[in-house]
Amino acid sequence: MPEVRVRTEDLTKVFYDDGRGEVRAVDSVNITCESGEILGLLGANGAGKTTTLRMLATVLAPTGGNAWVHGHEVREAAEQVRASLGFYSASTALYPKITPRETLRFFARVNNYPKARLEQRVEYLIDRFGMESFSDSRVEKLSSGMKQKVSIARTVAHDPPVLIFDEPTVALDVLNAIELRDIIAKLRDDGKAIIFSTHIMSEAEQLCDRIAIIHHGRILATDTLDGLRQSTGHHYLEDIFVHYANSSGSDDAIGMVSDEVVG
Amino acid sequence: MDLRQIWTLFRHEVRCALRERNIVIYSIVLPVVLYPALLWAAFAGISFVQGQSSRMTSRVVILDSPTAHSVFVDSLDANDRFDVIESDVDRAGLISRIAQGNLDALLEFTPPSEGGAALDGNFGLVISFNEARDRSASTRSRLEAEIEEYRLAWVDRERQALGVDDTVWADFLITRENIASSEDMTRFLLGVLVPMLTLLMVTIASFYPAIDATAGERERSTWETLMSVASPRANVAAAKYLYVAVFGMAGGLLNLAALTLSLQWILAPVAGEESRALATSGGIPPSALVVIAVGTALLGLFVSAGMLMFAVFAKTFKEGQSMIMPFYFLMIMPAFFLQDPDIEFTMQLALIPVVNMVMVIKAAIMGTSDPLLAVTSLGVMSLCVALAIGFAQWVMSSEEVMVGSQEGGLSKFLKTRFTNRKAQA
Repeated sequence: MPEVRVRTEDLTKVFYDDGRGEVRAVDSVNITCESGEILGLLGANGAGKTTTLRMLATVLAPTGGNAWVHGHEVREAAEQVRASLGFYSASTALYPKITPRETLRFFARVNNYPKARLEQRVEYLIDRFGMESFSDSRVEKLSSGMKQKVSIARTVAHDPPVLIFDEPTVALDVLNAIELRDIIAKLRDDGKAIIFSTHIMSEAEQLCDRIAIIHHGRILATDTLDGLRQSTGHHYLEDIFVHYANSSGSDDAIGMVSDEVVG
Repeated sequence: MDLRQIWTLFRHEVRCALRERNIVIYSIVLPVVLYPALLWAAFAGISFVQGQSSRMTSRVVILDSPTAHSVFVDSLDANDRFDVIESDVDRAGLISRIAQGNLDALLEFTPPSEGGAALDGNFGLVISFNEARDRSASTRSRLEAEIEEYRLAWVDRERQALGVDDTVWADFLITRENIASSEDMTRFLLGVLVPMLTLLMVTIASFYPAIDATAGERERSTWETLMSVASPRANVAAAKYLYVAVFGMAGGLLNLAALTLSLQWILAPVAGEESRALATSGGIPPSALVVIAVGTALLGLFVSAGMLMFAVFAKTFKEGQSMIMPFYFLMIMPAFFLQDPDIEFTMQLALIPVVNMVMVIKAAIMGTSDPLLAVTSLGVMSLCVALAIGFAQWVMSSEEVMVGSQEGGLSKFLKTRFTNRKAQA
């Protein structure tokens, strides 16, 4: 029986910029994500995806609304929230001077994974992600594909029930991107609740069980791909996205879509 | 605070740091090897220059030498350190040669003053030299020493001829007695060197770790990774502080150890026979080692808190360097101002943080410790360390600072904080 693992309620983030004044980067976002589900957060660059995910990961504090991860409120129980999730993004790098084995040991331990089972967990992850041949080499010496495996293993080192992937394939070549998507799909099969942000349409189509379309900080629609097709009458996700972006009333919607969202 | 988590984070910071070349060089290799080596090079250089200078020949022309004092002229001529030149050039020409560096000094015998003329054979002397030329200035000193020796012998002969009694004459003699032992000389030298090097080493050894733990992490994009771990931010900040402080203290203490162990090697070229005494006395007095260790620890804790406070706002390594630099110079300034061996340790100095630790270490080495000043200094410094840690903790408890969304440096942060508070009031 799937459980709701992530829930937001009017989640809002307002930044103050010297030049632009008040900027509502995220505006009353309401999403949920269940165990064994991948929720795609689809939007152009600057739509508010990363800010939303950073608030869920407690890297940023919300200015309005609220969010719960595995039952813990992001503002009141930030440590428990972080213990319950693994956060992966293009900007979360690895420590170059330590080995994959040391990386996994450190992240499992600092995320409160039981000490008695720690070594067993590290060995399991090395085996599962095929890192045997380079587990004791320094991260700085690894190829980008190897680093990517270490990054994912680091994200799940403490076996969290919730995983957040923020544009994880943005800097990867085609083969590595395919491998990463396979790994994420397997993690869903393990019962993880996964939020996956992307601006690549094909990725969202292939991987996500439900898709939330975010534009200018607001969620315009959340449904399965079939549900979105039925609601809009369009078959392709790109057309569906343009449909919602245009109906949101923003003048620059089509321009942004053609520039940023072509997968 | 979860000590287990802080320990895990601290160990992680240290492990990464020990594999970072720059940190190992500046915080470990430099204190152990480079500074003792540089000191040795400096001392060896000084003794080389002194040796060269002692082998130098002074070129002198003597004018109007009276036959009564030909012994003096002959003794100079026979002295290897002097080259007494016969010259037909007039006085103006000789002065010109001294100015050009072709001659070092001109010695002219002159008639004695009116009072001195009563003594038969008495004389006056004028030494013309060029103070702007080292060789000429050294020649003047050599000539003065030779003249003084000859004058004393001549006056002694004359007073005997006049029947002045030995015991009466002895009352006019000045006898010099240096009461400083070789250990005292060691303490004097170390009192100048050790406080300066300790402060320098603590500051240098904290510098790279402070930037590495903050701006370095942001530049490597590992900061966000660390911010997403389950540990409270206060634990992360505490571990980073411990890491910087341990490296700062280690830098100071390693330097001290290296300096103590290599003392004989460093000072041998200048100390000569004294160096044997240095080795047997152990260099730094054992009683001073505890005071130096406590002083170094307090300096490390204070400097680390200050450096982290500035560096935590930096987004890149370069930005971190420029943000820390003013604080760095402020910290090492006392090392240069307090090098004067005559500076007195007063209650006013005991109330100035960092300066007081330099003076406490100096007094402990020189064996001139005043318990009241030492206790006051340690108390003041401990209070300042507590305040610095408290302030750093307050700065690093800010969500904006820790997640890196705070723009600008410490001053902008404080301005924003106090402006907001005023606005809220």
